Amino acid sequence: MKSSPLNLILSVLIVCVVAAAGLAATYSITAPIITAQDKAAEEAALKGVFPDAASFKSVEPALLEKVQALAGDTKVDAVYRAIDSAGAQIGWGLKVGSRGYGGYINLVLGLDRDGKVTRVTILSMNETPGLGTRIKTEPAFLEQFATLPAGFTEKDVKGLDMISGATKSSRGVRNSVSATAIIFEKVLKDAGEVR
Amino acid sequence: MKEWLRVFKNGLSIENPLTILMIGLCATLAVSTQVQGSLFMGIAVIFVLVMSNTLIAMFRKVIPDEVRIPIFIVIIAGFVTIVDLFMKAFFPPIYAVLGIWIPLIVVNCIILGRAEAFAYHNTVWLSIADGFGMGTGFSIVLVGLAFLREFFGSGKIEFFGTAILKMPAGYAPPTILMMFPGAFILFGFIVAFMRWLSERSAARKAA
Repeated sequence: MKSSPLNLILSVLIVCVVAAAGLAATYSITAPIITAQDKAAEEAALKGVFPDAASFKSVEPALLEKVQALAGDTKVDAVYRAIDSAGAQIGWGLKVGSRGYGGYINLVLGLDRDGKVTRVTILSMNETPGLGTRIKTEPAFLEQFATLPAGFTEKDVKGLDMISGATKSSRGVRNSVSATAIIFEKVLKDAGEVR
Repeated sequence: MKEWLRVFKNGLSIENPLTILMIGLCATLAVSTQVQGSLFMGIAVIFVLVMSNTLIAMFRKVIPDEVRIPIFIVIIAGFVTIVDLFMKAFFPPIYAVLGIWIPLIVVNCIILGRAEAFAYHNTVWLSIADGFGMGTGFSIVLVGLAFLREFFGSGKIEFFGTAILKMPAGYAPPTILMMFPGAFILFGFIVAFMRWLSERSAARKAA
């Protein structure tokens, strides 16, 4: 086709507009499903770390900000209060992530009122299958975090085993857990709801 | 032989994108750690390739030469994003495995390469045949490589969390197969094998 400046501009413009419209349509169909799935996965993970909790309540924004300021390189997406069926707070559910080998390893971690880790589960990660993913496929790795004493420190976390061949991935999980130790000590310890 | 059949077969054999043209290797080496993920990656690539080839062949007479590459890229990126969103919404376990490699189909040379080398100069039907041929040729080699890597590198083949094939207990998998160097070495053997096959068939034809 003979090209003039006008039809060069027009053709790119038309293609872009059509593509944008197509994507907007796809997005409007899939976005609610994706959000619902993310939420369901997060809820299931929270239930997994606190089987006794009846409900989870997001903390107030001011408290979340305080927590995030303490976390350093670890990102804290959300902090929940775990509430039991009697309405009393039994602990904290944290959605945290630290860099592993392939981007962020997102965890859901439960802390009881004394600051003891109840359980750590992996929400999402992009680690190398067969290597980095062993942090999930070898349950002993995640289970050892529940053996940390109440009021554990970064030093306690460093004493735990890593998976050889998956050093960066193991460290990603450890960094998140260490960060929660500091967060608990400085903020969450005194922020629990009393009844 | 019918023209479209010849074009389809080209993608599988003498113009196989992976073993002959050697394009799209980056994603191949990264994704081929698991058969399950590779299978879906193959399907995603076939879809994007066929759709972009179709559209580009359809409008090849009105796309100005000077801006064809930006237009190709917008079309390809559009389809890739559609696949990305659909997979995320309807197949989250698969999406968790493939992750970043789905959006990166945009920069997979196979797709832009076929748009430029084939679809821009051929009819819609032939371009569809080319898309299917190239996509299938890519998928077969990808899944084959993934089978070797997963089976020998981790000792079992898993589908949605259940092992369907297992090495006998006591087999210590060589981890190198799961890493890039292992993938490269294995891929070299596959290329050599394909070469040997095609040379043998050429020799037979000559005889």
